[in-house]
Amino acid sequence: MIFGLLVLHVAVCAVLACAGRRLGRSSLLVGAVPPALSALWGTARLGDGSAATADLTWVSGLDLAMTFRVDAFAGIMTLIVSGIGVLVFVYAFGYFGPGAARTGRFATTLLAFSTSMLGLVWADSVWTLFVFWELTSVTSFLLVGHKSTDTEVLVAARRALMVTAGGGLVLLAGLLLVTGAAGTTLISELAPVDGTAATVGAVLVMIAAATKSAQVPFHPWLPGAMVAPTPVSAYLHAATMVKAGVVLVAVAGPALSGIGAWKGCGLAFGAVSVLWGALGALRHRDAKLILAWGTISQLGMLITLFSVGTPTAVLAAVSLLVAHALFKGALFLIVGEIDVRAGTRHIDELGGLARSMPVTFAAATLAGLSMAGAPPLFGFVAKETAIKAALELDGPEAWIVGLGVIGGSVLTVAYTARFLVAVFGPGPETPLSARRHALSAPPAVLAVGGLAAFAALGPLDAVLGPAAVRLSGGAQVEHLHRWPGLEPALAVSAVVLVVGAIVGLAMGGRPGQAPADHAARWTDAAIDGTVALGRATVARVQHGSLPVYLVTMAAVATLAATPFLADISLDHLVGWHTPLQGVLAATVVGAAAALCFIGTRLGAGLALGAAGITVAALFVIHGAPDLALTQLLVEAAIVVGFVLAFGHLSRSFPMAGLRWRTVRIAVAGLGGAAVVIGLGAASGNPVGAPPLAELAAASVDEGGGSNIVNVILTDIRGLDTLGEVLVLATVALGVQALARAGAGREGSAS
Amino acid sequence: MSTALLLAIGGLTAVGLYLLTGRSLSRIVLGYSLLGHATVVALITAGGPAGWPPIAGQAAPEDMSNPLPQALTLTAIVISFGLTLFLLALARRQRTLSGDDLVEDDLEDRRIAAVESGPTEPEDPAAT
Repeated sequence: MIFGLLVLHVAVCAVLACAGRRLGRSSLLVGAVPPALSALWGTARLGDGSAATADLTWVSGLDLAMTFRVDAFAGIMTLIVSGIGVLVFVYAFGYFGPGAARTGRFATTLLAFSTSMLGLVWADSVWTLFVFWELTSVTSFLLVGHKSTDTEVLVAARRALMVTAGGGLVLLAGLLLVTGAAGTTLISELAPVDGTAATVGAVLVMIAAATKSAQVPFHPWLPGAMVAPTPVSAYLHAATMVKAGVVLVAVAGPALSGIGAWKGCGLAFGAVSVLWGALGALRHRDAKLILAWGTISQLGMLITLFSVGTPTAVLAAVSLLVAHALFKGALFLIVGEIDVRAGTRHIDELGGLARSMPVTFAAATLAGLSMAGAPPLFGFVAKETAIKAALELDGPEAWIVGLGVIGGSVLTVAYTARFLVAVFGPGPETPLSARRHALSAPPAVLAVGGLAAFAALGPLDAVLGPAAVRLSGGAQVEHLHRWPGLEPALAVSAVVLVVGAIVGLAMGGRPGQAPADHAARWTDAAIDGTVALGRATVARVQHGSLPVYLVTMAAVATLAATPFLADISLDHLVGWHTPLQGVLAATVVGAAAALCFIGTRLGAGLALGAAGITVAALFVIHGAPDLALTQLLVEAAIVVGFVLAFGHLSRSFPMAGLRWRTVRIAVAGLGGAAVVIGLGAASGNPVGAPPLAELAAASVDEGGGSNIVNVILTDIRGLDTLGEVLVLATVALGVQALARAGAGREGSAS
Repeated sequence: MSTALLLAIGGLTAVGLYLLTGRSLSRIVLGYSLLGHATVVALITAGGPAGWPPIAGQAAPEDMSNPLPQALTLTAIVISFGLTLFLLALARRQRTLSGDDLVEDDLEDRRIAAVESGPTEPEDPAAT
């Protein structure tokens, strides 16, 4: 079923890619079909206690396999990814309107993202997870850059890609270290690990999660990504993709929570992001940016709770994950509807929307109250559990988590109140365009979802509970309560709501300036620096000079021979096999050396011939008459060819500068030494005597010839020899073509 | 293993590399040819000591030189011959076109290097 659904997603994606142009806007409705089926499957599986698995092994020895496992937590994520996916596809149908351009392409990319995200939450092998993780980065980049004619959009898309793809590289390194320490690549089999490698790996994984989930200081890409069409912002940058980091922290939590650095990093990222994100949401004046900064804050809260890893904290985090997907998805879609109908989403230009958009206002109020954590909405249950988890802790952890959760909650209430007042509050009425049902229905569904979740808390608890048990390493987890009773957490909640509401309402109508985003500038400067470094490196290493390339390659190859220095043994070396061999060896080196000094091309050709003939003589005394004969023939042909090609260029060779010549001589000398070292080292490891008697007998009996070399060439490896002949024939054709083309040109020029 | 052959291989490689890194195509062909010699001598040197030609019936098997590397070397000689001829044809064509046989810098690479010093063009993510 898992593979079936994935294949269906990919197939529909392919269909949309081909037919998207013709289908136009309706391709968005076609794209909603696969997520709808996944969501149905996920719903049908909700009560099922067992996990659905599927795997496709690629290289079993390297643990490379596509492995999927849909357990309780992945089941919840399936509902979020596919359920909200369906609503977003429907919403996008209304968002783009009948005349919009490139909707087919948009639908294809959105479905590709949905597929990648499903793969990510279903993955059990860390490598499967990694592949889908990267795919979500790429599809997110394409979706952010959908309106590709705008410079601001391009900068934002580049920032999103560089930060999340850079995080992907960090993730790869982290996963290698962690899986190496754990001895398994399956997330479901990860056991608690420790040690230096595991610690470094855990920190890297946490950093990767922070890049994807837009934690401070990697956060600037998320507000930047708000230039994307609103369906994308709601789906990728609120409900699903930014949760990938949280999901990673969640599923790796049971194995890594024993590592102090993992928890420390997570708490630092989380607590700082909760507060900084919420402050950003309080200061910005673009309704969409307010929500984006709020998302940074909420993601910080999720990372904090999952990093703590106590059963209550994990339960709170899972609840908040669901609640956040519902209320933040709804609020984004609402802002998108306002943007489409009012033509602006700047809070200073909006007014009177509570009267003119009553349904939207009701949905926004429900979602907002859930975000603020007010009863009777699911956000209240999640927030209440989070506060309870914070109050349960002790030591410095309690202070950090307490500050993050309680301080963050106050600020969340404040920015929610400010958002609702500023967007829907009194003011000169903003003119609106006609209502579109596809725009107002999906956010209403999500907002009511928060209410329904509160009403049906019993069944929901039966779903969230097992997920929390799985993510806290099998510990006993409490139940969610609609009304927790009079206990400290409730008092804290009440104070949070009152203080937050006062702050938020006070700030709601106040005019002001949006803050300058220094972090975004620094991020862009860092990216520009990286690009410039890349350019400078390319300019340095790819400068176009063949001699420099060759010298570099020879130098690198020479370095590779250095390790063999230790293996040189002189036991197997003899001076020469016969004295004549020594004389010939000296002659061939002499002829070669002469080539460097001979000034004319004719002389060089003759010296080359001398070297070749000496090599032939070496073959003779080595006992290889066939080689000697071939060498003589070949050499004669080459000398003739050389003289034909260059002979009448009587000008002497051009001389290079002294410094460059010194470099060449040094590299050439080292290269020669490297070959001597390599061969000398190899001679210390003889592989044993060749089976000469067998070869000789087989040559006569089976090959029908007494010359063993000939029998090998024509019989044992006859096919290779045929290939060799083909090579020669091809060369002959090429040479002839080149010679003729040159002659033709010469003729026409003269 | 014979030290004389070992040193001959080293010498041929060194001179071959030196010539190969020059700017004149004719010297590059010379260098390539010498590197080919170094390789074939290295092949038969690695195959064992000198001996009688490996012809059944002419010598006792234990006195023969190793025939297997010889068969491989024969292929190497022929293929490097083919490549050398092809290089020569290329060099001749270069001479016909430009009047000399110097290897020029790759203009495309030069252009990429020049972009670095010139105004930076932002990459176009939309082109994907």
